Amino acid sequence: MGRFVVQRAAQAAVVVVLVTIVTFLLLHALPGGPARGILGLKATRIQIEQFNKTNGFDEPLPRQYWSYLVRLLHGNLGTSYKLNQSVASLLVERVPKTLLLTAMSTAVALVLAVPLGVWQALHRHRVGDHVTSSLVLVGYATPAFFLALVLVIVFAEKWPLLPPEAPQGTSISALLAHFSGLVLPIVTGAVTTLAAFSRYVRSSVLDNLAEDYVRTARAKGVSERRIVWIHVLRNSLTSLVALLGYYLPVLFGGAVVVESIYNYPGVGLLFWNAAQQSDYPVLLGVVLVISVATVVGSLAADLAQAAIDPRVRGALR
Amino acid sequence: MRKTAPAGGVPRRAEQRRRPSTAQLAAALGTGALLLGGLSAGAATAARAAHASRGGTVTFAEPPNATPNAIFPIATAGNTAAYNSAIQAELYVPLTFYDATSGKLAFDQRASVAKTIVYSNGDKTVTVTLAKLKWSDGSPVTSRDVQFFFNLVKANKDKWANYVAGQFPDNVATFTIVNPSTFRLTLTTAVNPLWFSGNELSLVTPLPQQAWDLESANGKVGNYDVTTAGAKAVFNYLNGQDNHLATFGTNKLWKVTDGPFALGSWTTGGAVTLEKSSTYDGPDAAHISSVQLLPFTSADAEFNVLRSGGLDYGYVPTSDLSQSKYLESRGYTIKPWNGWAINYSPYNFNNPVLGPTLKQLYVRQALQMAINQPAISRAVWQDEAAPVYGPVPQSPPSPYLSATQKKNPYPFDPSKAKKLLESHGWKIGANGIMTCKSAGSGASQCGAGVKAGTVLALHMLSESGSTQTTNQMEVMQSELASIGVGFQASYAPLNTVLSETAQCKPSQASCSWQMSFFGTQGSWYFSPSPNGDPLFASTGSANFGSYDSPTADKLAVAATTSSNPAALRAWSAYLALQLPAMWLPLPAYQVSAIKDNLKGVSQDPLAGQTIQRWYLSNG
Repeated sequence: MGRFVVQRAAQAAVVVVLVTIVTFLLLHALPGGPARGILGLKATRIQIEQFNKTNGFDEPLPRQYWSYLVRLLHGNLGTSYKLNQSVASLLVERVPKTLLLTAMSTAVALVLAVPLGVWQALHRHRVGDHVTSSLVLVGYATPAFFLALVLVIVFAEKWPLLPPEAPQGTSISALLAHFSGLVLPIVTGAVTTLAAFSRYVRSSVLDNLAEDYVRTARAKGVSERRIVWIHVLRNSLTSLVALLGYYLPVLFGGAVVVESIYNYPGVGLLFWNAAQQSDYPVLLGVVLVISVATVVGSLAADLAQAAIDPRVRGALR
Repeated sequence: MRKTAPAGGVPRRAEQRRRPSTAQLAAALGTGALLLGGLSAGAATAARAAHASRGGTVTFAEPPNATPNAIFPIATAGNTAAYNSAIQAELYVPLTFYDATSGKLAFDQRASVAKTIVYSNGDKTVTVTLAKLKWSDGSPVTSRDVQFFFNLVKANKDKWANYVAGQFPDNVATFTIVNPSTFRLTLTTAVNPLWFSGNELSLVTPLPQQAWDLESANGKVGNYDVTTAGAKAVFNYLNGQDNHLATFGTNKLWKVTDGPFALGSWTTGGAVTLEKSSTYDGPDAAHISSVQLLPFTSADAEFNVLRSGGLDYGYVPTSDLSQSKYLESRGYTIKPWNGWAINYSPYNFNNPVLGPTLKQLYVRQALQMAINQPAISRAVWQDEAAPVYGPVPQSPPSPYLSATQKKNPYPFDPSKAKKLLESHGWKIGANGIMTCKSAGSGASQCGAGVKAGTVLALHMLSESGSTQTTNQMEVMQSELASIGVGFQASYAPLNTVLSETAQCKPSQASCSWQMSFFGTQGSWYFSPSPNGDPLFASTGSANFGSYDSPTADKLAVAATTSSNPAALRAWSAYLALQLPAMWLPLPAYQVSAIKDNLKGVSQDPLAGQTIQRWYLSNG
C-alpha cells in the first residue's frame, strides 16, 4: 500500500507540472497580453512597457516559465494584477469557502441520494420510481442560476425566511455563525448534484442485485434488509466513492454559479474572474490548486475503495 | 462610484472628483483667476439636511465583481478604479474637486483643499491658497503637504498611473511655498487654466507629510521627500503598505486623514466601512454616521439583495429594468447615472484589408448615417442610453459642445448613405454586399488605395457579457445590411478586446482587427475639460485606430493651451464632421436604485461621490 501511495504521489507531481506548463503556454498564447486590460484605456505606451517589464513579459517564454517555477518552489504564487493581493492569500481565503460550500451541498446530496437511489432500485419500474426519477431529472435539468433565483424570490422575498445572500464573513467560523445564509446556496448546489448521485446509486444497486452473491445470500436465508443495506449498498458505494474523487474539480467549477448568485466569493468565481481579466498569476494559482485537488481526490478515492473493497485492497498489494 | 466599468477601470484622471456642491461661486477669474464658478445645489442640500435626522448608516452597493484594493492616493498601475479614488477622496481631500451635477461643470470648493486658484504671468504661474483644514492628528493641512505629494510623484512618475509625459509634474518648473497656506507653481508653458485646474490639479491630493514622510515602518518622520532618492524610498514604503489590504483598517498610516470620513474597516473581500470623522473641522462635514460599501460577486447577486430591501443605494441591471416598478413599490427611486463621457467604436485605419476604405470620409459618413442611434437607445437600452454625435460629451450642457456636434451632422438616413456609396463606385454584388467597382481617386471612384473588388464587409470585435451590447450589434448588422454593408461581430471579454484593439502597422499580424467596441458602460470618461488628445491625436496613447489628421492634432493642442472654450468647440466640430470613429449611443453608467429616505445624493457625471452630503430623512 505504501509503495502504491508513493507511486501515485510521484505521478501526481508529474501531472501537476505538466498542467502548469500547458496552462502557462496557453495563457501566453493569448493575443495582446494583459497590460492594456489591466491598466485600462488611458494607459500610455510607456506605462504598458513598464508593466510588461515589471512582470517579465518582455523575456522569452521559457525564461518566464522558469522564473515562475523558481518562485513556486519558494512558495511564492505571485500577486494578483487586479486585486492587489498575493495569490496565496487569495487562495487561503477563498478555497476553504468553496470547500465548505461544496462539501456541505455534496453531503446533503449524498444523504438524500443514497437512500433515494436504493429505494428507486427496489421499486424499479413502478410508479414511485418513475415519479421520483422525473422529479430528480427536473432538478438536474434546472439551471443552477434559475433555481437560485426562484429560491431567492420564494424564500427571501415572498416569505422572507432566509437571507438572499450568503454570509459575508472571511473565516469558516464567521460563515457558520450565520448558517441561515448558507441554506439556499447549499440547497441550490445539492439539488443539481442530487440527481446525478441518485441515478448512479440506483443503477449500481440494480447491477448488484443481479449478482450471484445476492442470490446466494437469499438462498441462505439472509434477510432482504440485510442484503440490501449491508451487502449490496457496500458494493454499490465503491463506484460512488470513485465518482466522488474525480468529481472534485467539477464541484469547484460548479460552484461558480452559486457563488455568483449568492454573493459568495469562492475560488470558482476567483478563477472565472481572473480568466476574464487576464489575471495570469491568479489563473495559474487556481489551476495549480485544482490540479493538486484532482490528483489528491483520485488518490483518496482509490484508497477509500481499497478500504471498502477487499478485492481492490488485494490488487494494490 | 461604479465608474470602473469602462475599459477595465478608468484611471483617476477621469475620476478623481466629486459631486456638486454649495451655492458658492467658485470664485475668481481675473488675471487668470480660474475657477469654473460653480453655483451648485450644496447650500440647499445643507439646509434640507438640517431638518433631517443626523447619523444613521447607509449601505451602498459596489460595482459587480469590483472590490476596492488601494488606499494610498498616488495610484499605481491596476489600482486606478473609480471606487478606489472615491473612497480615498472621502479620507483625503483632493486639492481641487470638480463636479457637474448642478448642470454645468463647477469647481466644488467645499470638497477641495484649494480655496482660490489664481493664474498670472500669461497663465504660466499658478498661485493656490488653501482652505483651513486639519489632519486628524491635529496638524494643519499646509502647502508642505502639497509639496510632499508633488515630490513623491515627481520622483516616481514611472510608477504613478496618472502620469502622462509632458504633463503634471513635467510641466511644473518650480514649486514654491509662499507660506503655510499658499504655494506657487511656475509652469514650463502657458496653459489653459480650465484644463490645468480641472484635469491636472485635480490629480493632486495633499498628503500628511508630518506622518507619512517615512522610509520604513521603524524609521522616524523626516524630510526625505526633498531628495529624489528619499522620495523614492518614501514612495516605496507607502506603496508597499498599500499592498497589504488586510492591514488597512489597523495601519496607523491610514488613520491620519483630513476628510469628512475616517476608515472604519476594510476587508480583503472589498467590504469597506467609512465612519464620520470626529476630527474633521471643514465646511463639508458628513451627515450620516457611517456608510458601508458592500462588494458583490455579480449584478444578479446585488439585485437579489436590492429586491429584498437590503441596500440603501444600489443599481438595477439593464436587463432587469422591467422590474423598476416593483422596486419603486418597495420604496426605491430609480435614477439613471449619466456620465461625462462618449461612446464610440474605433475604426482601424491601418487594417491591411479595409484600412484604405475606412480612410475615405464618405465611407465613414455612410456608415454613420446607417446607424439609427435613437432607435438603438430606445429598443436596446430601454431609453437608458443617449445618442453621441462627436468627441465631446453631449450632456450636461457645456461651453465645449459645438453647434455642429450638437445638431448631429449625420442623422440616420439609410437611403442617402447607400447613394453616397454608390456615387463613389460601389455596387451591391450577388451576396448583397457593396463591392468597389471603380477603383481610383476620382470624385466618383472608391478613393485612394481602395482596390477594385474590395468588399465592404466589416468585422467588429465586441466585448461580451452584455445582452444589450449583443442586441446592439445585431441591430447594427441589420441596419448596415440595409445599405449593403456586411457586418459581423465576434465577442470576447473586455480585457481581451482592449488588448487586441491596439495601435498597429498594416504589416503586423495584430492589425487584423477592423472595428472594436468596449463601451457597454461608455467608452471614454473625460476629466472636466474634455481634451481628448489621447483619443484622436496622431500620437495619442488611446488613438487605437491610428487616426491621423494634422488638423485634429493642431486643434487638440490649442484646446490644451487656450483658455477660450472655443478651442475645444472647434475640436468638437471638426471631429464630429470627420468621424474618426463610429459614434454610438452612450448607456447610463448605471441605473441607480436609491431608498426614498436617502437624500442628498447627486449622481455626478464626473463619477465622484460626496457621501458626506447624504442624509437620512425621517419623513
